Amino acid sequence: MVELAPSAPGHRPPPHPDGEPLVELRDLSTGYERTPVLRNVDFTLRRGEFAGVVGPSGSGKTTLLRAIAGQTRRFAGAIETRPRPGERALRLGYVPQVEAINWNFPLTVGQAVLMGRWREMGWRPWPRRHDRELLANILERLGIGHLVGRQIRALSGGQQQRTFLARALIGDPDLLLLDEPTSGVDIKTRHEIMHLLGELNRAGTTILMSTHDLNAVATHLPRLVCVGEGALVADGAPEGVLTPEVLRRTYGADMLVLRRGDAIYVVEHLDDAMTGESEETPVPATPVGG
Amino acid sequence: MGELTEPFQFEFFVRGMVAATLVGLLCGAVGVYVVLRSLAYIGHGLAHSIFGGAVVSFVSGISFYIGATLWGVFTVLLINAAARRRQIGGDAAIGIITTCAFALGVALISRHGQFTRDFDAALFGEILGITSGDLAVIGGVLVLAAAVIFAFWKQLLFTTFDSDVASTYGVPVPWVEALFSLVLAATVIASLQVLGATLIAAALVIPPVTARLLTDSFTRMFTLAALLGGASGLVGVYVSWFIDVSSGATVVLLQGALFAVALAWAVARSRWPGTGSGERLAAIEGATLD
Repeated sequence: MVELAPSAPGHRPPPHPDGEPLVELRDLSTGYERTPVLRNVDFTLRRGEFAGVVGPSGSGKTTLLRAIAGQTRRFAGAIETRPRPGERALRLGYVPQVEAINWNFPLTVGQAVLMGRWREMGWRPWPRRHDRELLANILERLGIGHLVGRQIRALSGGQQQRTFLARALIGDPDLLLLDEPTSGVDIKTRHEIMHLLGELNRAGTTILMSTHDLNAVATHLPRLVCVGEGALVADGAPEGVLTPEVLRRTYGADMLVLRRGDAIYVVEHLDDAMTGESEETPVPATPVGG
Repeated sequence: MGELTEPFQFEFFVRGMVAATLVGLLCGAVGVYVVLRSLAYIGHGLAHSIFGGAVVSFVSGISFYIGATLWGVFTVLLINAAARRRQIGGDAAIGIITTCAFALGVALISRHGQFTRDFDAALFGEILGITSGDLAVIGGVLVLAAAVIFAFWKQLLFTTFDSDVASTYGVPVPWVEALFSLVLAATVIASLQVLGATLIAAALVIPPVTARLLTDSFTRMFTLAALLGGASGLVGVYVSWFIDVSSGATVVLLQGALFAVALAWAVARSRWPGTGSGERLAAIEGATLD
């Protein structure tokens, strides 16, 4: 079970370059049915890392996550994972996009979260005392313990994200995959979610998340992967990756990168930038695959 | 008092009432998964497609129950596969596959003119003509459905809620889908003699939708749907004796009346904020019968 430690918001945890590789994609081309979405991807995620995948819609962010989850068709290359001893596959905690969830389904928070423990619950349809204790524990830790009997639609955006985060965590995953966990939520909720993920990572959870929110990943994540037109464009620390050149290659549009001390801000619309008040510092990109 | 107990002196009536109760229970329980998968018309379509299976069994000289069940399972698997393609969708998949299966039966009848099996009962139901053998088949299917639902409760729930994510969490989705297809096909076949092809859709849809209006919990919805289905079968057949109306039609009209009461209750409650009835009303959109 994860231990959530308090931390200052916005603090970026250090990367874990020495951790054991958990997932390795080697020259992977993958996609759906007859269409490869990602081509020739080389990517390694180490145990304890917290990485974000950014890129425009349709670039292959979700496909990268789904490939690691074994939900795509492999056209070429290899995916290697390192499950725990005695297990055949990685234990994954997957949090889908909120748009993909059927909120009208008659499901309470408790029922939704226990889905993540379907295997450990054995043959019984109902949870045992141990399962109920774990459920109560995880809900309390995520601050939604009082909502266990609430239908999933009758929750705020942040509570909904926490519910499906709890489902992912209750199975004690090796890797947490989150598909745009900050989309469709307000700024306060977005900040809370990023803060929570940072705490989970510091407690030892390996996390890979896709997002459109460049500034959130620049603030909170130690590692950033840029995906553009089905290929990895850059991979590394935000300081090295978030450059106008890499962003142009990723998004096909000009963006301004503003730096103030350790903070990095990406301005998506140049007209909105107050360039006179900030200092733009060009930093060399870390290109992937030339 | 003697008048009220009069029908119980007839064995065929008691058999019919037991059959209608068991079929109501069965359809109510299985229908929960049908409704939540937005496949409300699958029962209607499947009942007709099984007609094709019955003719194929007759022509090839195998048992009606074995042939029709295999045919039904094949049809449901085809519908599931076609419904996953976004260009087709569930409603169109049901429309195409079940009508083709039905048309194949009609085509075979026209080639084999001596086909003599009486399908009036299968189309319109004949509760009071139920034999001990029919009752044994219904009981057997009820036990099969109960065993599958009990043993695979968590997997069925997860797959019904989100089959893609269920697969990520290690649920063997294709096997769960195949098992559910078997249960659904067996349910429709067992219900044909009691309700008839034209009324099966109602028995699969109305009790679950009524239950959905009354609760936001999956477990309670399942229990309520089965109880409502069973109770309306029992009471419907009993009442039909006195009002001299077709038993199958009375059962379905009773279910319709219960739905109307639940809907009125939900509408009344939705005027009070925080009751959750608004969400429940939204949830049944697309699942109700025209």
